[in-house]
Amino acid sequence: MALNASTISDNELFFGHKACAGCGGSLAVRAALKVLGPHAIAALPAGCMSAVGFNFPQLSFANNAMITPFAATAAVLTGIEAGLRAQGKKPDDCTVVGFAGDGGTADIGLQALSGAIDRNDDVLYICYDNEAYMNTGIQKSSLTPFGAKTTTTPAGQHAHGCLTNKKNLFQIVAAHDITYAATASVGYLPDFVRKVERARDIHGTRFIHVMAPCPTGWGCAVDETVDIARDIVDTGLWYLAEFEGSAISGVCGGKFTLNRNPQTFASVEAYLKRQGRFRALDECEIAEIEAARDAAWEVMRASWC
Amino acid sequence: MIEVLWHGRGGQGAFTAARLLGAAASLNEGKYALAFPSFGPERRGAPMCAFTKMDDAPLGDRSAIKQADFVVYLDETLLGADWDKELKPGGVVLINSTKPSAAFGDKRIIALDADGISTEHLGRPIPNTVFLGALCAFCDRLEPIDVHAAIRLYMAPKLHDKNIAVVDAACALANQAANAFGEVGTQDNAEALGATEPAITAAPTQSVSAPSSHTPRPQSVICTLQTGELDPQQFAHTTCFSAGHLVTKNAGWRNERPVIDAGACTGCYQCYFYCPDGAIYKVPAQGTTTDAQSHAALRAPVAVDLDFCKGCGVCVSVCKFNALAMIQESEANGA
Repeated sequence: MALNASTISDNELFFGHKACAGCGGSLAVRAALKVLGPHAIAALPAGCMSAVGFNFPQLSFANNAMITPFAATAAVLTGIEAGLRAQGKKPDDCTVVGFAGDGGTADIGLQALSGAIDRNDDVLYICYDNEAYMNTGIQKSSLTPFGAKTTTTPAGQHAHGCLTNKKNLFQIVAAHDITYAATASVGYLPDFVRKVERARDIHGTRFIHVMAPCPTGWGCAVDETVDIARDIVDTGLWYLAEFEGSAISGVCGGKFTLNRNPQTFASVEAYLKRQGRFRALDECEIAEIEAARDAAWEVMRASWC
Repeated sequence: MIEVLWHGRGGQGAFTAARLLGAAASLNEGKYALAFPSFGPERRGAPMCAFTKMDDAPLGDRSAIKQADFVVYLDETLLGADWDKELKPGGVVLINSTKPSAAFGDKRIIALDADGISTEHLGRPIPNTVFLGALCAFCDRLEPIDVHAAIRLYMAPKLHDKNIAVVDAACALANQAANAFGEVGTQDNAEALGATEPAITAAPTQSVSAPSSHTPRPQSVICTLQTGELDPQQFAHTTCFSAGHLVTKNAGWRNERPVIDAGACTGCYQCYFYCPDGAIYKVPAQGTTTDAQSHAALRAPVAVDLDFCKGCGVCVSVCKFNALAMIQESEANGA
């Protein structure tokens, strides 16, 4: 049965945490753990969700959870899973799940993630992407989009924010021929929840990249989190897609599916202008962002549908 | 030693102000200061404290201030019932409020419209530097010229002139209040005020929340607030303790709270689904179907856990039926 607001579990396994009001990352962790259930074992590297979840004696995870070294999320997942199996302590409904931010995944933890996928360890890796190192005070990561102001890519007279483009993490992961990978957004929670449920029921390495706005770092109001997470999908600046590796799709090299293919896109300019981090962008740069989006969608529509 | 205790919400600049105050008070030969924030995981909007200590000798005690000569509230909603326990005899409370000082009913509390003053000069209500000016009026150790120098040393250049203007405006305003208050100084007016030595108490805990909803949550696995103290003996000898062990609420983070219009609510559960804090929950079905109608009139299908709601308003933004609205905490408590 498909999970939705009415049918999802009443369990609150990530609760009482100290995340900012309106935090998108905490919504992603809460929703994912509702799907995975109390026997899931979570591992989190340094980042907002570990900083706000573990504060002795306050422990905001109602399931087993631990903090990993920054670079080692996927390696620790591998170890937990192997350890449980070796001790015969892994129930059938136990998912070993990692929650790491964009910096902990695309920059610092990429090697360990690549290794886990290569070994096809039976773990689920969820990257909550708030597009910068928010826990340490908004520094650029390799998933910070072009034009976004961070403390290490400040908006000045000549450069108006981040000069590099967002790394294509989903395709990097898919290029490993991973068993299952997906992108999602907390704005479209039923889609995210469906993907977590799907990933839960598959064996092998699974990866979900979920967009999770950060009102503090993005410069928007705290009640806009969900709306802005929908907007980023509606504008085409983010996409909802799945990748099924050759092991489950039977297609050599795996198969991509686009879950949402809008006929028309919502206004990129309106999306950018509602956030403080893009305030310095000029018309040329906004046009550049739109052109890059169109080019990306041309490729996705041609080969993924 | 003069001690200043700053109460603010994450993001209001309490630590910046504490640091600038320390800098201003230690510029001259033979003057020393320490400034530091309370350490914690709390984020933007959460109640937090910062501390400044000033003395003529190097300061060795780096622990939090329990009782201060000056207690500053950057947000008036943080003023709790036990405010006077944090005050040394002769101490003064400075609070950001549009109300007159007399409205607080205690002459030790001095109100300043810091949001108004800062909005006038900065265009935004950033109350922290207002109180640097105000402290110049009340504290003998502090001169406006030193505060100006600290601002020039530690703030970004584009902020210098505006914040110096804020300090001067606040200082002028606070001088009137200080004169009205009587003898300026911190130690000497204890007698005048008839203050008695209050008992040393533990650091104040997070302000207690408004009475929370008593509708029970559905049976589920959930992190739970534990009553009773942890036994340090027990936890010193183990690295393990129960998952989901909560010791503090998040109610103090909130200035607004959601209220549900039971008549308009259709029970779609979107507010519950999208709440980042899990603070909205489904009300378990109760009663027989015959009185379902009267139940619907009284009770919405969802309820808000006011112990853990941070007041972000995401629930209101995802409600398609206008069944939720945010109201001010003061309004809710007054009702």
